[in-house]
Amino acid sequence: MARKMLIKALPTTWDVEITQAANGKEAMVAYRAGKADVMFLDLTMPEMDGFQVLEALQKEDLNSFVIVVSADIQPIAQERVKKMGAIAFIKKPVTAEVITEVLKKYGVYEVL
Amino acid sequence: MSIAPLSSDQRDALQELTNIAMGQAGASLASILDTFVNLSVPRTNILGVDKVSAAISDLVGRDFEITAVRQSFQGYLRGEAIVIYGQDGCKELADLMGYDEELDKAAERELLLDVSNVLVGACLGGLTEQLKGIAESDKAGELSFAAPSIMAESVPVDTLINPDKLSWTHALLMEVNFTLESRNFVSHLIMLMPEEAIEKMRGILDEFIASF
Repeated sequence: MARKMLIKALPTTWDVEITQAANGKEAMVAYRAGKADVMFLDLTMPEMDGFQVLEALQKEDLNSFVIVVSADIQPIAQERVKKMGAIAFIKKPVTAEVITEVLKKYGVYEVL
Repeated sequence: MSIAPLSSDQRDALQELTNIAMGQAGASLASILDTFVNLSVPRTNILGVDKVSAAISDLVGRDFEITAVRQSFQGYLRGEAIVIYGQDGCKELADLMGYDEELDKAAERELLLDVSNVLVGACLGGLTEQLKGIAESDKAGELSFAAPSIMAESVPVDTLINPDKLSWTHALLMEVNFTLESRNFVSHLIMLMPEEAIEKMRGILDEFIASF
């Protein structure tokens, strides 16, 4: 459901292929398969949480734009993920406006 | 009255709504304790009331001695919120907040009630806020609380709930827990809702799922 909410909020004109992962482990598999130029990362997940994914990504050179999308709105969590290489933090529930703004701000999504 | 289990889509939707709600509770707790709080993945289930006590024991850990606060809520949904701490929950919170030896038992209890009230209010408030956004009925945003009260102090977890005293047949059980990195502290926030609230919740979850 978290993934459906996010996908619904992505700009419809954004020409990308979407790969979904149900937890951090699946996300790392997709990342290693070269399927994550941009990663929307939740923090609260089974198997492997978002902090652990960021840690693993740092060890593997972090070749991806990571945008954390989480309900964990503690200021420390936001600081921590940015220190760990995430480019932005978006709090849940996500809206299309906020996602588009972040994507534009970081040049991830160029307006056509 | 027979109650269908949640479908996997309904459970998924409820977990996500709970996740968003607990994030607000976790942020409140982090701010009270001035430390980083780890949030669990929410767990939800529909059970016959005779199974509730065993389910809570499983979530908290069998043979665990606990202190617990309860607070009932009503509005569009109704039920009981229970916040479970370790055996010395009162003292643990007082220590975490830097009160050391200064508090007497009554003041510790008051602290426990206050913190529990904040957790319950933030979580249920957050949940209701989202239900209101999803549901067609304006009534989905209605929510009021009774005052919190201490339900048990230093008792084995399996004695917390006596099913004979519940007039419900079924309960929707939702659980989240908060742990700290640096200290041995855990707090479980459990919400229980009876059958008619389950069906209202199911209706909202179905509306939510249909919106995708």
